[in-house]
Amino acid sequence: MLIIKDLHASVGDKPILKGINLEIKAGEVHAIMGPNGSGKSTLSNVLAGRENATVTSGSVLYQGKDLLALDVEERAREGVFLAFQYPVEIPGVGNVYLLKAALNAQRKHRGLPELDAMDFLALVKDKMKLMEMNETMLYRSVNEGFSGGEKKRNEILQMAVLEPRLAILDETDSGLDIDALKIVANGVNSLRAPDRSMILVTHYQRLLDYIKPDYVHVLAEGRIVRSGGPELAHELEKQGYAWIGDEPAGAGVKHGS
Amino acid sequence: MSAVIQHYQSEFERAAPLLPWRDATGWQAWRQSAWSRFAEQGFPSTRHEEWKYTSVAALEKLSLSCAPATPVSLEWASLKDRVVLPEACGRLVFVDGVFQPTLSRVDGLPAGLRMGALSGRSTQDSLKLQGLLEQGQARTPFTALNAAFVAEGAWVAAEAGVRMEEPLLILYVVTEGQRAMHLANAYEAAEGSAFSVVEQYLGMTDEPYLVNGVTSATLGEGAKISHVKIQQEGARAYHIAALQAVQKRSSQFNSHSFALSGALGRNDIEAVLAEPEAAVSMKGLYRVSGRELQDFHTTIRHDSPDCTSDECFKGVLNESGRAVFNGKIRVAPDAQHTLSQQSNHNLLLSDQAEVDTKPQLEIFADDVKCSHGATVGQLDEEQWFYLRSRGLAADHARALLIEAFALDILTGIERPVLRDALESLLRRTAHV
Ligand SMILES: Nc1ncnc2c1ncn2[C@@H]1O[C@H](COP(=O)(O)OP(=O)(O)OP(=O)(O)O)[C@@H](O)[C@H]1O
Ligand SMILES: [Mg+2]
Repeated sequence: MLIIKDLHASVGDKPILKGINLEIKAGEVHAIMGPNGSGKSTLSNVLAGRENATVTSGSVLYQGKDLLALDVEERAREGVFLAFQYPVEIPGVGNVYLLKAALNAQRKHRGLPELDAMDFLALVKDKMKLMEMNETMLYRSVNEGFSGGEKKRNEILQMAVLEPRLAILDETDSGLDIDALKIVANGVNSLRAPDRSMILVTHYQRLLDYIKPDYVHVLAEGRIVRSGGPELAHELEKQGYAWIGDEPAGAGVKHGS
Repeated sequence: MSAVIQHYQSEFERAAPLLPWRDATGWQAWRQSAWSRFAEQGFPSTRHEEWKYTSVAALEKLSLSCAPATPVSLEWASLKDRVVLPEACGRLVFVDGVFQPTLSRVDGLPAGLRMGALSGRSTQDSLKLQGLLEQGQARTPFTALNAAFVAEGAWVAAEAGVRMEEPLLILYVVTEGQRAMHLANAYEAAEGSAFSVVEQYLGMTDEPYLVNGVTSATLGEGAKISHVKIQQEGARAYHIAALQAVQKRSSQFNSHSFALSGALGRNDIEAVLAEPEAAVSMKGLYRVSGRELQDFHTTIRHDSPDCTSDECFKGVLNESGRAVFNGKIRVAPDAQHTLSQQSNHNLLLSDQAEVDTKPQLEIFADDVKCSHGATVGQLDEEQWFYLRSRGLAADHARALLIEAFALDILTGIERPVLRDALESLLRRTAHV
């Protein structure tokens, strides 16, 4: 599904990603943890195509294609979905309008007919139930005035509607109350499928209690310094990131929160 | 005498026998004095503070004809699709400045609400008009020129307590260039009355022409006028207009201006909050591209205590388009408890576009709440990325964001049919 090889990226002159290697197979869920500022969001953004970080070297293969050569919207239509750490508010653009335009752009790309208004609404309302979201949210502007937790739920709603092949969830759990976390986790789990892969960026074991990852990676200072199974997350929860610093691979890792 | 003044002098002489109410000495004297005022000043130059960024030098060079045109015939069917409210129950249509009774309809109006063409008024009634038009008159050379030549326009009058929700339409179509049309509109809402009027200017020629308008609105105690003005002038057209609203106690004036096309547009809009508890909402959207220029000079005069003003203008600037926003708020010494808000937001979509924005606050009272703010920015990169990351094409995402920025100006338009009509007009005419 996704093969990242020796990926380097900088913001301005500042190198942020310093040689990421990661392979994700279809159906797998990978968790990425790591201290603040280590580059997790930068990696997520680079995969989605944001241009504020520049890829300086390395490659990313997505379903056998050179992902980095695709435009942002092409990646999305090919099934890459990023749930943002900080979803932006877009006053004046209706939530439901965006959902429909996004879904139809993707369907068109795949050679499917556009959904008519009725079928589309039925689909969205169905997914909203899953996310336990109030239908009035559909008719508001994208994220405008949404609470932190509502924004995160809205991201997962979009994901549920778009049914991506590669979902990258950047700290979707932060800012959620316990009930909301369960709902979101539930929504995510319902999307787990043999042909769908996920990257979960998180700081907390809690999310991983609900969404069991196949692998856990620690990203520090722009490199993956440790990879393991779900047990790695438990270890991190107990001991923080300092102990990784004892290992050669993670030299110079800062304390995280 | 300069060649420019000479041209207009001879036009003045040529037009005189063709103008309405020409036999009334009250009009002759009035026009003559207006003409003298114009002849003294000539067209404003950019040395004039109020015209610093807006040069009318190219307009001056055009030898425009100022006499009323001979009527042309136009079919309603050929206009209908471009009209913002084709179903309006009251409408007045003017083609090349000439009233078109057959395209107009005024039969569906409630008792106590009347509208019509200025030229149809009796001499006696027309003299009362002078008083209204004079309000805004001595201010610019263009208003003086207007007074000298004014030949046609629309009037709407509501008697005390008469309230009409359905918006009325006043349509000015221009089919032929090389002319100057001097128009006047007079809106009068007596005590406790209310109406809503939409002025649409539709240029259907690419030849240069000038629309020079003066509009007066008078609002009695507790009255309400909602005024929407839409400029869709021709590519080489000049549109210059002055609007003044004078408001009595507890009246409400809502003004929405949409300057969507034309080579050069200049609007001077003034609201005078003459008595306590009057409120004005002044909104506007200007869109420029190519080498277009739109200039809004607004003035809100808080002359009385406890009045409210809410002003917001937005601009979308493409290519080498330019815009000017100058927003003056004057709070008189005894206008305590004034509440005033002003904002001007501009979206620059090209490196060549330019906007000059200036708030001008003159506050002489101490117990007031006045805020103002202006922004000039580009499209928000983060929002753009977000939309694209959901699969929307780059252009589509861009158009959506521009639209969202612009359509925001429609808030405050109460009638859904009007809001929807304006929304679809704005979408249809967006050049992205
Ligand atoms: N526009 C920018 N200018 C300068 N530095 C930047 C910019 N964007 C990101 N960075 C830096 O890049 C580094 C990585 O940031 P990133 O957001 O990827 O971290 P993160 O791992 O997601 O952190 P967190 O856990 O706090 O979300 C940080 O040091 C950040 O300050
Ligand atoms: Mg982050």
